[in-house]
Amino acid sequence: MPIISSSTSAFYERSRTNMKDLRKEAEKLQAQLGSGQKLSRSSDNPVAASRLRTLSRQESISSIDTTNANRANADLSLADSAMSSMGSAIIRAQELAGQASNSTLTDEQRGAIAVEMDQIFQDLVALANSRASNGQALFGGEAAGDAYSIDASGNAVYIGTASSGDLPIGDGQTVGRSMTGPQILNFTDANGNATDILSTIKALSNALKGGVANPAGAASDSLDVLRVGLDNLTTSQTVVGTRLAWLDVVADRRVEISELRDTEQADLGSTDIPSTVAQLQETMTVLEASQASFTRLANLSLFDNLR
Amino acid sequence: MGADLISIASSGARAAKAALNITANNISNASSEGYVRRSVHLSELAANSSAGSPAAINLAGVRISGIVRNADAFRQSEVRRTGADAARANAEVKGLENIESAIEATGVYDSIVGFETGLQQLLSDPVDGSLRASVLERGRSLAQTFNVASNSLDAVANGLNFEATDGVSTVNRISGELARVNLRLARASDASSDQTTLLDQRDLLLQELSQHIDISTSIGTGGVVSVTIGGPSGPALVNGGNSGTLEMATAADGTISFTMDGNPATISSGSLAGQSQALTEVASSRIKLDAIAKSIVDTVNAAQANGVDLTGATGSPIFSGTGAADMAMIATSGEQIATAPAGSPAGSRDPGNLTAIKSALAAANPAGAMDTLLFGVSSAVAGRAVTRDALESIASNAKVALQAQSGVDLDQEAVNLVRFQQAFQASGRVMQIASDIFDSILSIR
Repeated sequence: MPIISSSTSAFYERSRTNMKDLRKEAEKLQAQLGSGQKLSRSSDNPVAASRLRTLSRQESISSIDTTNANRANADLSLADSAMSSMGSAIIRAQELAGQASNSTLTDEQRGAIAVEMDQIFQDLVALANSRASNGQALFGGEAAGDAYSIDASGNAVYIGTASSGDLPIGDGQTVGRSMTGPQILNFTDANGNATDILSTIKALSNALKGGVANPAGAASDSLDVLRVGLDNLTTSQTVVGTRLAWLDVVADRRVEISELRDTEQADLGSTDIPSTVAQLQETMTVLEASQASFTRLANLSLFDNLR
Repeated sequence: MGADLISIASSGARAAKAALNITANNISNASSEGYVRRSVHLSELAANSSAGSPAAINLAGVRISGIVRNADAFRQSEVRRTGADAARANAEVKGLENIESAIEATGVYDSIVGFETGLQQLLSDPVDGSLRASVLERGRSLAQTFNVASNSLDAVANGLNFEATDGVSTVNRISGELARVNLRLARASDASSDQTTLLDQRDLLLQELSQHIDISTSIGTGGVVSVTIGGPSGPALVNGGNSGTLEMATAADGTISFTMDGNPATISSGSLAGQSQALTEVASSRIKLDAIAKSIVDTVNAAQANGVDLTGATGSPIFSGTGAADMAMIATSGEQIATAPAGSPAGSRDPGNLTAIKSALAAANPAGAMDTLLFGVSSAVAGRAVTRDALESIASNAKVALQAQSGVDLDQEAVNLVRFQQAFQASGRVMQIASDIFDSILSIR
């Protein structure tokens, strides 16, 4: 008949198991505090780990979307300023056409205006060939190099592609990175003829140099055409401005989504420090108590009292 | 009668001394693994009454009728059964955790996402050399990560196979030893000190054996044990002085099977069963990992062929290989990524085919498949870990219950020590009294 219902080795085995479990628990809590992460490996919580993987994937894709959006923003801003400069050049051309339409001017005076008109033509071609942030033509669609070239007779010819590329900016949204030359410069005049600013100015310059019988009349006719062309350019500029505003909206939305993602990541994977510390304290208290009681019980031997 | 008193006292002193020896033996073996507490069984020594006076009182003292081993066969078999379950669960969880590390810690998922984001970034400027080089390098690190994950899985399978091989040879060694113990048990005399030691050894060997495979035991005459694998009707491992041979075969996919003396044997518990289950898991994880690698290789290469690269040539494959182990990046320059649709001139900025590659990859969804694989393995680990913890606590309870019943309690031994010391002293006192009585007879004048 045993005195206590347990053998010595059973007592030690039980105490060892209990203290080992408590210590393991304390170390797990300590690791959570040390790393700031609740999950040290996926199997700690498979569902949360899978969600965290998806979130971090969205995070990396979102950071690429941000660079793409920044690039689109830069290109559209460049297009905007180039179109403003084009607008000023066309307005100057209108002023000159207005002067040239005065029939009292001499041929020499018209010739001088034609020289300036040629300069405006070259400025416009240069502006139409301006470069985007990646070094390619801003208004040339997806072609490499220039958007316009000058043919043998001195006319500007569009050599780009029909559309400019779209950039994905996240959330399934895309934005056109620029406009093509024909989109901003080609239009239909009041008489229903398809034409473009560059050829209009070139034709006007030729007329002022004496290419037609009535240069003043030609200059006066071109005033209307130039007005329609300027309207068309301004409309295109509005489109670019709207796209820039759209980029801002999408960027705001991206930041909001990213904040939501961060919150979810923190909820799923980060250590809740106050409650973890409290849990650790509780475990440590229990561990200390069981160590103390183990020491006292282990010291309790009948042999000590046998003399 | 007087002389009898001395012999009675000497038998008492002998019995007390034997009991003291047993107590001392118990104390010194208090922490020996597998030691079962002994106690002395004493009975009265009955002298034959003489034929002439059958009613006469005959007192002859005490004798040691045997050394009792306080083992509970049921608790021992519970320790073996629960221990085998816990060992199986432990081996399986350990293997699964290694699989999890092999495919999670290598970062396959992150490198798939890296490749996808590289393609996404190339969209912003398909002719940019540095972006093309970045896609190429991300593809290379993707292929290498798959190689590393595959090698890690190989290492896990090798480790498990090594452990299982070791387990099989341990099982064969223990069954050989059990057969020898059986032979000696058959020769040992009943209730002798020799027999109790052999029985201790037998039980310890059985407990050790149950860590590796699930066994059924039946105890025959004289404590001779026969062991079968699985249930009582399973193939015999130890029968009397004979032991069978367990053998292991490894299939091409790394899974293992067992044969007992040439006949197929099913092992459903113990560490060998756990290792076998983990190896099956390795094989299925490898199939899934290979499928993901193959889907990336096939998808990207097929989409490449539909477009033209930066030089205007039809896109050539950029990945080679058919699985995770042999996947490799074979493109040598970023120019070889076919971003433009077929028929485009050299240097085209048209991202038509790049978009096609991206959407083909999105449809194949390797990141999603990888996530599913990781989720499957990690939730298997989480689930089995719960089972393992439960089985371990059951096994530990069974072990404590057995120890509480059959182990040495030092306090009880201290009491026994005092008790048998007193018995010895009392027998000595009886001898002195016998001597005094004899002296008083002699001193009659």
